Amino acid sequence: MTDGAAPLLEVERLSIAVPAGRRIDGASAGDLTLVSDVSYAIRPGERVALVGESGSGKSLTARAILRLDPGLRLSGSIRWDGRELVGAPEPVLRGIRGADIAMIFQDPMTALNPVLTIGEQVAEPLTVRGVPKKEALARAAEMLDWLRVPRAKERLRSYPGEFSGGMRQRVVMAAALIGRPRLLIADEPTTALDVRVQEQVLDLIVEQSSELGLAVLFITHDLSIVAGLAHQVIVMYRGEFVEKRDVDGLFASPRHPYTRGLIGSIPRLTSDPSVRLSTVDEYMARNGGAADE
Amino acid sequence: MTIDNAPFDRVSFVGVLSRRLFGRGGPVVDRLALVMVGILLVLAVVGPWLAPHDPYAVDPIASLEPPGAAYWLGTDDTGRDVLSRLLAGAPLTILSAVAVVVGSTIIGVFVASVATLAPRWLDDALMRCTEIFLSIPSLVLALGLTAVLRPSLTSIIIAMVMALWPATARITRNILRETMTSAYVEAAKIMGVSRLRLMLRHALPNSLDAIYVHASMELSGTIVMISGLAFLGVGAPPPSADWGSMIAQGQDFITTAWWISLFPGLAITVAALAFGLVGDAIRRINDPTSGRAQ
Amino acid sequence: MAHYVLRRLALAAFALWGVATLVFLMSRLIPGDIAAVAAGRLATPEQVEQMRVTLGLDRPLVVQYADYLLGAVTGDFGVSAYTHRPIVEEVAEVLPSTVQLVLMGMFITVVVALPLGIWAALREGRGADAAIRILLVLKGGIPVFWLAIVLRWVFGSILGWFPITGENSIGGAPPDVTGFTILDSLLFGSFANLRDSVSHLFLPALALSAPFISTLARNVRSNMLTAMRSDYITFAVSKGVPPGRVVMRHGFRSAFGSTLTIFGLQFGWMISAAVLVETVFALQGIGSLMYKSIVNHDTFAVLGSVMVIGFVFVFTSLVVDLLHMLLDPRVRTAQLARA
Repeated sequence: MTDGAAPLLEVERLSIAVPAGRRIDGASAGDLTLVSDVSYAIRPGERVALVGESGSGKSLTARAILRLDPGLRLSGSIRWDGRELVGAPEPVLRGIRGADIAMIFQDPMTALNPVLTIGEQVAEPLTVRGVPKKEALARAAEMLDWLRVPRAKERLRSYPGEFSGGMRQRVVMAAALIGRPRLLIADEPTTALDVRVQEQVLDLIVEQSSELGLAVLFITHDLSIVAGLAHQVIVMYRGEFVEKRDVDGLFASPRHPYTRGLIGSIPRLTSDPSVRLSTVDEYMARNGGAADE
Repeated sequence: MTIDNAPFDRVSFVGVLSRRLFGRGGPVVDRLALVMVGILLVLAVVGPWLAPHDPYAVDPIASLEPPGAAYWLGTDDTGRDVLSRLLAGAPLTILSAVAVVVGSTIIGVFVASVATLAPRWLDDALMRCTEIFLSIPSLVLALGLTAVLRPSLTSIIIAMVMALWPATARITRNILRETMTSAYVEAAKIMGVSRLRLMLRHALPNSLDAIYVHASMELSGTIVMISGLAFLGVGAPPPSADWGSMIAQGQDFITTAWWISLFPGLAITVAALAFGLVGDAIRRINDPTSGRAQ
Repeated sequence: MAHYVLRRLALAAFALWGVATLVFLMSRLIPGDIAAVAAGRLATPEQVEQMRVTLGLDRPLVVQYADYLLGAVTGDFGVSAYTHRPIVEEVAEVLPSTVQLVLMGMFITVVVALPLGIWAALREGRGADAAIRILLVLKGGIPVFWLAIVLRWVFGSILGWFPITGENSIGGAPPDVTGFTILDSLLFGSFANLRDSVSHLFLPALALSAPFISTLARNVRSNMLTAMRSDYITFAVSKGVPPGRVVMRHGFRSAFGSTLTIFGLQFGWMISAAVLVETVFALQGIGSLMYKSIVNHDTFAVLGSVMVIGFVFVFTSLVVDLLHMLLDPRVRTAQLARA
């Protein structure tokens, strides 16, 4: 990781809101803020973990970078390589997606289109940019090979239904990495997998990141997998950042009660089975933290 | 109270239906449709008595009169009042459609029940049998059957029942299969309740909702198909006032006396639409998740 | 995959056998003397007896059945009581006309319903979608034969834009090579032939297509909505795929499979509707043949037509299913899972 280098991605005071008036239940209302005032930066090659429980806004924060939810209103600034993304015209975003910044999602089973071959789907980031089909497919085969998908060249013509979960996640990663992005956003990529496969995928991400100098924004609700993975950890709660530290510092001396609560609730091999793990709410209440309910 | 005579907790279907459709929030179109269906059913029973003129009285002097004060919808080529014939035809068209749906549903449900209870080979055989019927488009099949029987409205009804029961049987069979493997039925089975009892007291009653839905949607199409067969002349002979026959009679006069064929057609369309919308509404109420994307 | 194809073919063969058997049963259900019916109303008692022997009605039912099946396979459907010609000949003469009409009807349906359905799905919730849904509420409620009469009246008689009877005007017909007037016009005839044929077919085909446009559009809309909500759509967007390709190559291509199934059912329905439409427009198709046979009490010709229509439907269902299997890998994996 290049310490002194300029950040690839700079997010400053980003807020995400559902605009006034668009409500399912028919009630009209003002803006509903989902994420408020978050700021962070990612440097080349840096792996950042964004941790929080369901509903904390972590996925939204990440998706906002690529503007995957056009109905939401963004305010603040997201700068990629110095270029402002908030409010930028759509073609600019499209140029960045898949080429500069790529994203992989939670469920590999549904991320791939079942009626198209994996060859086509892996090669897609290239073919939509004008790379001739043959060449793109050749690179796709290389990529799959690189990610240790067996018999890559033959499998180009297979369909996603013929692959297992772990393999599919590799295919998804191949599609994400084929455009040589500099930042990979991984939205809970291991949540839907079994533990053994989880480990493989995590190792794979770390390996690719180290070898390719790829920065990673890793979203998860599971603090326990963060330790071996990230350089920087951001903890999120109810739409706000509550702590942002280097990984060692965070685990050694967590500052925010919520973080402490999260760490405290991780079951450990060494913990006494008769002692009940504390829940986050209890912890917050006991320590008079920012819990406001 | 043992499991096999415990009451199943189904709210009155009609009650729910009326509440949903008439309560606040029911879409306007659906309520209109329900009202229309009500009107049609009433007309189907008392229609002929409401007719201002004799639907079958021939009056050459008044023939081919356009719609006007005396004859609201005009007269046909033999001077018969179109409106009166429409009213007289209402029971013929609507009630025969109802008869067809009732008939095919009863037979279909019966066959499906037998298939569900029967040993595997009989189940398969019956379902294969229905598949064969479904290999011939229903109108064509019904037409063929009426050719074999003597042309009359009764023949059409019989022919259509025979052509339509297989579809009902298949759908019911699937529903029953699902119900019979659900958890509470399994529980009852473990307690020793016989399969027949399970079917009669649990599976069938709980499948009724889905059966209603299917039947109500069938009704719409049946009205149209019956009219089609009548139009082709395999129904009751000429003086018949059923709407399909009326259209056929007016065909040759379409350019000069368009009202003879136009109004029966409108009547069929409105009836099919109304029953169809109500059927759709019933389906949506029964299973709000189905057709959500609609 | 081969396993699936074989199974499907076997199913089709079974269906063909079933259709023939069903029609056979129908032919023996005729009230009254079968031989008299077959010989026609003007037959003498000797001719009726002769017919009895020819039909093999004096032999055991099982033998009759075997003969019948043999006939179905070899193309011997008996002789028309009215025209005294082999039924298979009469059917072969008129079948292309019906097929052509139905194909044209399906073409119109697809061309209108597909874009409509996709567009409605993309505009979900907004004004256009609601308007379309109201229009689409006319799901097959309009009787096809009435629509045919009205179309003929408005566009044919009143506006005079289209001819109202037959497949060609006098002198406008192309040489009769395949029986498909459009094909014949294209290959062997002139542009005037083509224009004549198409203009004669347009209104009937429109009548056939109208009731189904709503069903197909709704189906496409529904399938598209489901497809567009899938995760793979989001993934495709994140790869930088432009919206056009996302909608068509990812969305529609995925939704297509289920639509195809409905399409197959549609064909069967349209053949039925063709019977009605042909009589209104005086077209010489199998529908008209059936109608005329009914009027003439030519029961065997009617049953022969029914059987042929059944065969055609089984065949098209088979083609549609195989096409579905080819185009949608999910079908294959589902089959593998079951096998």
